[in-house]
Amino acid sequence: MALVSPALTVRLHRLRYSLSRPHVVIGLVLAAVLAVLVVAPLGQLVATTLVWSDEDLRMAPDATPGSWTAYHWIRGFASETSRNALYLPLRNSLVTATGASMAALAIGALLAWLVVRTDLPGRGLLQTLGVVPYILPSWTIALVWLTLFRNARAGAGVGLFEYLTGSPPPDWLAYGPVPIVAVLGLHYFPFTFLLLAAAMRSVDASLEESGEVLGARAGMILRRITLPLLLPALLSALVLTLSKALGTFGTPYLLGLPVRYFTLSTMIYSNIVSRAAAAGYILALLLIAISALTVYANQRMIGARRSFVTITGRGVRSRTVGLGRWRGAAAVFAWGLIAISVFLPLALLVWESLMRYSDNYSLGNLTLHFWVGSPDLAIADGEAGILRNRQILGAAWNSIRLSLSVAVLSAVAGIAVGLTVVKGRGTLLAKSVEQVSFLPYLVPSIAFGAIYLAVFLRSWGPLPALYGSFALLVMICAVKNLPFASRSGIAAMMQVSGELEEASVVLGAPLWLRLRRVLAPLVASGLLSGVLLAFISTMRELSLIILLITPATRTLTTMTFRYTEQGAPQFANAIIVLLIALILAGEIAARRLEARAHATRRSEGVVA
Amino acid sequence: MRKHCKTALLTAAALVAASAMVAVALPALAQPASPTLSQATQEWLRAARLGPHAEPRFDVEALYAQAKKEGAVAVYSYSSRIHAIASTFEKQYPGIKVNAFDLDGAEIITKVLAEQRARNYQSDLIFLPEVATVKHLLMPRGMVFNYVPPDLITKIPRQYREPLLARQFSFRVVFYNSERHATPPVGNLWDLTQPEWKGRVMLPDPLKIPEYLSFLVTIAQRSGDMAKAHQQKYGDLRIAPGVEGAGYEWIRRLLANDLIIAPSTDAVTNAIGRTGQTAPPIGISAWSRVRDKIRAPALRFEPALAVDPVGAVSDIAILAIPAHAPHPAAAKLLIRWLMGDEKGGQGFTPFYIEGHLPTRVDVPPPPGMPLLHHLKVWDQDYDAIWKTSSRVRDFWIRHLR
Repeated sequence: MALVSPALTVRLHRLRYSLSRPHVVIGLVLAAVLAVLVVAPLGQLVATTLVWSDEDLRMAPDATPGSWTAYHWIRGFASETSRNALYLPLRNSLVTATGASMAALAIGALLAWLVVRTDLPGRGLLQTLGVVPYILPSWTIALVWLTLFRNARAGAGVGLFEYLTGSPPPDWLAYGPVPIVAVLGLHYFPFTFLLLAAAMRSVDASLEESGEVLGARAGMILRRITLPLLLPALLSALVLTLSKALGTFGTPYLLGLPVRYFTLSTMIYSNIVSRAAAAGYILALLLIAISALTVYANQRMIGARRSFVTITGRGVRSRTVGLGRWRGAAAVFAWGLIAISVFLPLALLVWESLMRYSDNYSLGNLTLHFWVGSPDLAIADGEAGILRNRQILGAAWNSIRLSLSVAVLSAVAGIAVGLTVVKGRGTLLAKSVEQVSFLPYLVPSIAFGAIYLAVFLRSWGPLPALYGSFALLVMICAVKNLPFASRSGIAAMMQVSGELEEASVVLGAPLWLRLRRVLAPLVASGLLSGVLLAFISTMRELSLIILLITPATRTLTTMTFRYTEQGAPQFANAIIVLLIALILAGEIAARRLEARAHATRRSEGVVA
Repeated sequence: MRKHCKTALLTAAALVAASAMVAVALPALAQPASPTLSQATQEWLRAARLGPHAEPRFDVEALYAQAKKEGAVAVYSYSSRIHAIASTFEKQYPGIKVNAFDLDGAEIITKVLAEQRARNYQSDLIFLPEVATVKHLLMPRGMVFNYVPPDLITKIPRQYREPLLARQFSFRVVFYNSERHATPPVGNLWDLTQPEWKGRVMLPDPLKIPEYLSFLVTIAQRSGDMAKAHQQKYGDLRIAPGVEGAGYEWIRRLLANDLIIAPSTDAVTNAIGRTGQTAPPIGISAWSRVRDKIRAPALRFEPALAVDPVGAVSDIAILAIPAHAPHPAAAKLLIRWLMGDEKGGQGFTPFYIEGHLPTRVDVPPPPGMPLLHHLKVWDQDYDAIWKTSSRVRDFWIRHLR
């Protein structure tokens, strides 16, 4: 013992001390996992853009596959096609994603406030319906837009606008950036709504009341008290929406194509199907860089300011604002929004799943065949209705267990990331975990799936070849949706006061007990929104897992794809409706759980 | 400030480190084309009786007996109609389970490439129209092998069984609205570039659907024919400076004529076929889309087959066995089933419809289809597609806006 120098002893003590801090231990484990599941695949992506591939022999017959080259980068940024394949799509992506994020933020924040803080009629129902726009496939809202506003360019009949006014809507209203921003805004406002509603619920009204007592006016209370408290959730929502809007394919494609308005996501997809992976990955890296910038800006804004905790040991009391004479207007806004983004698309989907002939909207053409019919060779190659079809029911079960597994994993990951990032704020470990946990979000699903396929087809270190296993599907979905869990985990953890955990340390509670009995219950409400988003996204996942599934692990989404090709869109629509029903059931169950947890916390708070 | 630099540096460092890590693993990923097959592959070929070891005679009983021992077969198919065929196959040959996947052609290639590179062999049979890629990327590396059931050799012209067995043709044709037009309103591909049709010509997006990029490549290849067709109706063709030939010029003018790019093949036919239009569009799509008229009986569209210089551009879908397939006998039996019989047959049925033709010359065309040699049709040159499709794609992108 005497041999150990005092300096080393101090260092050892320090190390032992940091290792006794839960966030350091968890952070280290997390960093190791992320290195394998996120950084390595991303490195693969980068490397692919820097070497010649076998496919490149088409364009450069003298190349040696596998050797280094800058060819793809030069071709991407400085060639004859760069303007139309990179710069214009980049501009369009930035314009539509920024616009859509602003729209989503405004709509979502207003709705969250109305639902959490006011006496708006039907708040309970709005709470549930407010997430539905994100559950619907994004193109369904785009189709509603086209139904309303299309003109002769789409060639599929006049829209409602032209039918009612007698004049065709101008191209700018029917196609291009304006409708893309509007539709994506309507599709993504649930991010803001979910995250902000959770944050608002945990803000104690007494904080605002103190402001009032001290004589601050409403505007000042909003600016100096409420907004700062909600800022982490608001910024998280912004970052999520922006990234999602940058990476999305369906809506910008459907609404932009008729006027040749392309975005980066369109070009990425095209490059990958034309076996020009390197070119596609370069565009994807551009998207990743943009999103990394927003995460970085977010870190600066939150890191630079003092944080405010709102979840303390005391009970939370929320108060309700009476809307007074604005109640009617607010109700029209909230329910009008839900009508456009929920009821209309849903009605269209349900109606189209009930049509015997897919071009006849009359009542006499309705049938339940595609739901419960027995096989009839005259219709859709003799397939039974989806509720009688064993393949489809099996796929539904796969979707459910996949999404539930991902949700559970996301909850764990959310707490881990939240702890590491918030408790260790400012440290290298915290920053790198926050950055890296966000990266998979922006790797295009189709590329992410291809990379996981290449990596996990063989055994990898201690891991066996996971290809074909259910575990691999869970893993890739959990990693891809990590940003949901980690954003909400960070936002939730920021609001938790350190004193609660410290109190339990003083009382001698071991690490796992502290996590389970103190931290987890406190952040459950905030975390729930992120877990729910991961659940919903996984239920709807297609291109991420299409390369990794086997017949035994088919999910519902992979079945819709099939019926569209077979010329039975009614089956595809019926499956989407079934999917939405399952997700809603999951959402309602989660809300019930939350309500119970909330009630428990409140009663414990009162006791404290 | 220092903290922020640190974050940026950290991210950069992580990425660079990761790339380096991967670079070490790269040689395994990019194997050069090997003209000679590995020892293991040669042994598998012998055991599977493929390539030089293929059986000289087709003995269905012997093959069934072997396949039953294998017990299953995994097929990657570009068409979901594979599921209907799988169920008839399972009835015909009890004891063999068909695991059918329906995937995009591009996804099939990605999966097979990855399986072969990782030596984790899962697939027994692939069925897809990506002929150029299979022929030039997979075959030269010994990753897939051709199998022609011996009893069919005399029934299929050589170019449709060598180097790869083709099962059926599909066609890209010009469609028009048959309610508005009693006869085809266009007789020449150059009509599509005239002011009369400005903003009323539709084409499925070649950036998203590879078949339409191949279609454009074929047009670009046939510059002589395209120039002649222009000469016939519109006189001498003046090609814009910097454009390579008459085919490319047609593509340029098509885009300049406010072409409407559609997201899918059925978007084109649904728009053309809708009834009650005064100025319906025309457009190019898959002939087999005529089957949509069964689910939507009000649609009115017909192919214009007498167009100059060509009425249809053909595509073939091929069958091939990936190297080291674990169930080769079952794969052979399924190939034979897919090829049908002289009346079409159960294994061919879902494709025995207007818009497809079998490659077997002893099978009569499906109802509503003419014989292949009665069609004004261009075959695709898959070598040209492999070599020039990225060039045509670049040309298309340059002239998009």
